[in-house]
Amino acid sequence: MADELTIYGERFDSRFLLGTALYPSPQVMLESIAASGSQIVTLGLRRQSPNSKGGESFWQAIRDTGCKLLPNTAGCKSVKEAITTAEMSRELFETDWLKLEVIGDDYNLQPDPFSLLEASRELIQRGFKVLPYCTDDLVLCQRLLDVGCQVLMPWGAPIGTGQGLLNKVNLTTLRKRLPKIPLIIDAGIGSPSQACEAMEMGFDAVLLNTAVAKAQNPPAMASAFAGAINAGRQAFTAGLMLKRQTASPSTPTIGQPFWQQNASRD
Amino acid sequence: MTRSTFGRPLEIAIVGAGLLGRLLAWRLLRQGHRVSLFEAGSFDQPRSAAHTAAAMISPLSEVVSSEPLVYHLGMASLALWPQWLSELNSDLPSPVQYGNSGSIVVAHAQDAAELQQFKYDLQTRLQHDDNSRWLDQRELADYEPDLAHFPQALYLPGEAHVDNRHLLGCLLNQIGKLGGHCVDNTPVIFTNGELDLLGNFNYVVDCRGMGSKENHPGLRGVRGEVMWVETGEVRLQHAVRLMHPRYKLYVVPKPQQRFIIGATEIESEDRSPISLQSTLELASALYTINPALAEARVIETDTNLRPAYADNLPRITVNGSCISINGLYRHGYLLAPVMVDHLAQFLDQGSRGHFWNNLVHHHSEADRASVAPISR
Repeated sequence: MADELTIYGERFDSRFLLGTALYPSPQVMLESIAASGSQIVTLGLRRQSPNSKGGESFWQAIRDTGCKLLPNTAGCKSVKEAITTAEMSRELFETDWLKLEVIGDDYNLQPDPFSLLEASRELIQRGFKVLPYCTDDLVLCQRLLDVGCQVLMPWGAPIGTGQGLLNKVNLTTLRKRLPKIPLIIDAGIGSPSQACEAMEMGFDAVLLNTAVAKAQNPPAMASAFAGAINAGRQAFTAGLMLKRQTASPSTPTIGQPFWQQNASRD
Repeated sequence: MTRSTFGRPLEIAIVGAGLLGRLLAWRLLRQGHRVSLFEAGSFDQPRSAAHTAAAMISPLSEVVSSEPLVYHLGMASLALWPQWLSELNSDLPSPVQYGNSGSIVVAHAQDAAELQQFKYDLQTRLQHDDNSRWLDQRELADYEPDLAHFPQALYLPGEAHVDNRHLLGCLLNQIGKLGGHCVDNTPVIFTNGELDLLGNFNYVVDCRGMGSKENHPGLRGVRGEVMWVETGEVRLQHAVRLMHPRYKLYVVPKPQQRFIIGATEIESEDRSPISLQSTLELASALYTINPALAEARVIETDTNLRPAYADNLPRITVNGSCISINGLYRHGYLLAPVMVDHLAQFLDQGSRGHFWNNLVHHHSEADRASVAPISR
């Protein structure tokens, strides 16, 4: 059976969601998307002023990739701002999918959990399919599910830091307590090993941007992440062994006398 | 009229009187050709990106976020600028100022990692060509006393900046003095059709930037916003870059105690005035460079579009006798001399310069165009 990612009823083979900001050129961005194998790409609407179809050629290039578009509300700091941006992006991109980002702190771009919850409730009532960028707090995540979110995107670390999974205790709790909910690690991933680790922990997908866009060779880095995410996912589904304190030989020891085993331990 | 007769003066029409159009006209006139320069707008109210730009010639800074070709072209331009300016200035009562004592890169505490990354990227991309070096607080105070509160900075030797608005005016004057025919408020329509509509010109060179979008389907505009301030409280000799996670922010000193700060980069062809958000970001960046700038007077804000192809690289497109230069993106002053030099040598002697094959694209059917100058 195919190992697909299902979000709001839609199925995807790829578990790598890629952002479209910060690339040296649109062409490098397109090459990176192709190399990533991503089927969902995020785009920031707010900084592109789409009124009067100003950024049309840039948008069209992203549309032509055939990827599912996931507009985000990057940079929004209030519920009202997020809702306005969401409505604009729904009209412009003809999708009700939305990566909801409501920033509560300028310094580390940390989500504002209170406004995020309020905006999620309102946007879901307006028919949006909300993918909230949230912290790793279990109660916040539960409340987001209560208002109708069907997928959650907890952070690994603050946006653009490349620090990896900073709070594995909280993230593990989320995974254990919300076993059926698609959980996508969004933000803070700097290296393929970190993305692989998130996937090994059982997260459903990884969303990132800076680590690819700012690499010396973005398409090659996109390909590296794709491999790591795939490896992590396969490892998770294959069943990782548990860690243990004592060594245990992988070569069968049948035929070896007991005293030799004892001697080797002394 | 005979075409491509090297050694005889050519009759050349240049359409678009931004930096490219003016530089090319001036070079061709100096080579003895006859030039007509057409501009859709008014010479008194320039709308070209070159008028809005801060006019830095900074190949090192740009290599971090550009293709290597931009660096190599930029280094070639950096060699041409002083040469060309000394030719130009020898004919001028008030010379065009050109500062080439390098630029300085600083970061605030929260963006310190951006500065480290910048240095790392320079080393990775330039290897032994990376001649940037760290300045400690004391050295920085020698270079720029008004930046002495930054604990460290990166110094990029050789980078330059030019007083672009004065330059643009002087070029136009010189074009007139050398016998160039300058016509403003005259749009030129490029339509599909026969090339004999070229009329009396041997060549038509399209330097319209965003004005030629209809003939270049791949061309897009990238919005940039800048702010001009004036103060006697702070003095800067060098162009100063401030690390920022989203923009390439810089402050460039201009004559008369003025500074230009820019620039945002927004994927949009919106030419409306600067947004409040961008105003706040630029102003607060400026303020944090030195708090004394808080009392500076904001004398102008400006918005313009950078013409760019999908790869953000410049192109010379040759379509018979109709040639276009476009796509200089964020790099107008960095790339214009080398582009103009290549084209001028080609027109004058048929020679193909060092970067010719990197720059020249031959037209596709979609780009096929002929020209009909209006109201000559």
